[in-house]
Amino acid sequence: MVAFILKRLGAGIVLLVAIAVLTYALLFFSGTNIARNILGDMATDEQVALKQAELGLDQPLFTRFFGWAGSAVQGDLGTSWFSSEAVVQALATRLPVTLTLVIVSMTLVAVIATLLGMAAAVKGGWVDRVVQVGAVIGDAIPGFVLAIILVTVFAIQLGVFPAVSTISPGAGAAAWVASMTLPVIAIVINYVTSSAQQIRSAVIDQYRRDYVRTLRSRGISEREILFRHVLRSASPAGLTIISLQFIGLLGGVVIIEQIFALPGIGPLAINATALGDIPIVMGVVLVTVTVVIIVNLLVDLANGALNPKVRVS
Amino acid sequence: MKFRKITGAVTLVTALALAGCAGGGGGAPTDGPGGTAAATLTIGAVVDITSWDPAQAHVGHALQPYQAPYDTLILREPDGTLSPMLATEWSYDEARTKLTLELRDDVTFSDGEAFDAEAVKANFDHFKAANGRQAAQLAAYESTEVVDEDTVVVNLSQADPAFEYYLSQAAGLMGSPAALDSAGIATDPVGSGPYVLDAAGSVAGSQYTFTAREDYWNPDLQKFGKVVFKVLTDPTARLNALVSGQVDTTLVDAQAITQAEGAGKELVAYQTDWAGLLLFDRDGVQVPALADVRVRQAINYALDRKTLLETLALGQGSTTAQVFGPDSGSYVDALDSAYPYDPEKAKALLDEAGFGDGFSFTVPTVAGFETILAVVGQQLADVGITMNSESVPPQNLVSDLGSGKFPAAFFFLFQGEPWVAINQIISTSALYNPFDSSTPELQKLIDAVQAGGDTSAELAKAVNTYVTENAWFAPLYRPNQILFVDPKKITATPQIQQAVPSIYNFAPVQ
Repeated sequence: MVAFILKRLGAGIVLLVAIAVLTYALLFFSGTNIARNILGDMATDEQVALKQAELGLDQPLFTRFFGWAGSAVQGDLGTSWFSSEAVVQALATRLPVTLTLVIVSMTLVAVIATLLGMAAAVKGGWVDRVVQVGAVIGDAIPGFVLAIILVTVFAIQLGVFPAVSTISPGAGAAAWVASMTLPVIAIVINYVTSSAQQIRSAVIDQYRRDYVRTLRSRGISEREILFRHVLRSASPAGLTIISLQFIGLLGGVVIIEQIFALPGIGPLAINATALGDIPIVMGVVLVTVTVVIIVNLLVDLANGALNPKVRVS
Repeated sequence: MKFRKITGAVTLVTALALAGCAGGGGGAPTDGPGGTAAATLTIGAVVDITSWDPAQAHVGHALQPYQAPYDTLILREPDGTLSPMLATEWSYDEARTKLTLELRDDVTFSDGEAFDAEAVKANFDHFKAANGRQAAQLAAYESTEVVDEDTVVVNLSQADPAFEYYLSQAAGLMGSPAALDSAGIATDPVGSGPYVLDAAGSVAGSQYTFTAREDYWNPDLQKFGKVVFKVLTDPTARLNALVSGQVDTTLVDAQAITQAEGAGKELVAYQTDWAGLLLFDRDGVQVPALADVRVRQAINYALDRKTLLETLALGQGSTTAQVFGPDSGSYVDALDSAYPYDPEKAKALLDEAGFGDGFSFTVPTVAGFETILAVVGQQLADVGITMNSESVPPQNLVSDLGSGKFPAAFFFLFQGEPWVAINQIISTSALYNPFDSSTPELQKLIDAVQAGGDTSAELAKAVNTYVTENAWFAPLYRPNQILFVDPKKITATPQIQQAVPSIYNFAPVQ
């Protein structure tokens, strides 16, 4: 087990380095005159040249990359070129918002999708039809449209929730809950039915297996069969889809954060990319890749714990 | 059974969350009654503040938040008049390279430091050394001589007709010398302005809360007890925040006017930009046709500006054929109708110039320009001109425009002071004159503006007339800035040549 984890972590680090090198090179060759972007259209050529030297933009790719990487391995991701904010600081203030949004949403998706998927598989009938139709609708309506509908109804018409984030250090937990509710609902509606459908298929598939028939013939209750055997065997499929959704959501949450003006990683990434603020872009990439690696590792471990068949030796 | 328990728990949690939010969130601003000193102004800001260091201050949208913690040396009134603020009076020597500023002697910064001549010198030197986002404003700055405690002489390398204006902008923001070189200035502004940052109500990238500073030296400019800037870069978020009452004022798109008015908000429209084509290649380096003035004029005649304004900006704006704005002092009324829509005349001019069979040129495009370029391209195609578009990454647009990569470009550009406009799009050092187009006649006119002192704006009318008659550009219209305010709470006066009003232009409803 320990060897497995170490192996996966090692592979993760290789992946992280590869992506860092690739991203840095892509940004380098994108040909942006960042100094000009910083100083605007009124700056003189001398001022632009001065800024380029100050940021080290006149250095070759390798010097710049190794300079950045050397600091990065010591935990210093540099400072934003447009503000003087340290990248680590910028990420530290924004990551909790994004992670809260993603983790709360995906936890709810996991719980609700499992319940719906099981109900659809076991009970069939209208529950099944709702899940089937809902999966199509949930996939078809883009998250941002749902978000706008929710804001119009619950923030503008009913005034129950704020239309845009009210999160601030002094505002307390109530502001967090209020600001997160509509975005979370938008994400959950968007994601829950497709997960439910996957879980439904997996549960139905398990019910058709011989072992279920054997268990039934031995007089084991339906409830025990479902919760102790079927669900357990169906869980890898569910976990996989939810982990894929989690990873997809790290990117998809950008639009939701924009619409609700949540101070997460999304707006930071969009701004930095549009401006060519390489230190921030690199920081966002590193953090995102790290989260993806951790999530994948956790899913593998969870799968192993739930299902001995996929457990690594 | 277990299934039911779980469902019940989920329902309970959801219900609790909903109930909790209804009590705590609400979304309605928690202001005191309007018209009192305790009133709150909540602004939906289009851009984020990247650093509170005054040397990193910006123009337009991004100047407004700096006006809360910082005073400027000179105050720019809504109509553009320059009035005393931290500087009580100022005057140039004859060569206009030495500017003497007399300063207030009763002002302190929020950290208790005194505002004096040394502080002004420290700020200018800091701004120059930082080479920040508006470094261009102090491009002509050389040094500051401290004459006495409340007098400085600013030495310039050459006359800069916009310098006094700059002292009402980023370059005029005065921070406490004790804080300027500390790392903390980026997140904690220390100025002499009407408000001080409240860290507990602020989140980087999201919201900045300011509270009124006690004993501020000019209570007339301190109209609110609290000023909150909510960063809302997304237009949908701004509209939602406005309509739901979370912000008192913000900019929205023209398409949102009906919804905002339906929610009882009041439109305040004004103009700060012009939209149109910059015909860079006036020497015909890449596209020989563009070297002929008749071809450039033909482009102008081919454009049906009225239809373009109606189609692209829902009629929110004014058509124009000149690049200088009505508030610049260099605006010439008659020039706006210099090129009435006349496709036949355009074709005739092209024929005369030997391009009757048409010609083609390429402009860069970024997300958001597609529709405009398609419509403009269609009108040009009607007279035989082919305008191709080439996609460029948005972060490359400005440098691509300035590098001479394209013979022409479509852009939205700020209509500022005449000297600013000249150095942005007309002079040989202007970024948006990438082929360094000039003629001795034009250069003479520009030199006259630079040396013109108080008459420089008037003298720039000749520059305006020259570039319009020689069709250096093909302007389309000046789009309206669509600012909405909540008329029950606040009033707003537009600030000329500024994307959003200065904070002093907002007042609580009495």
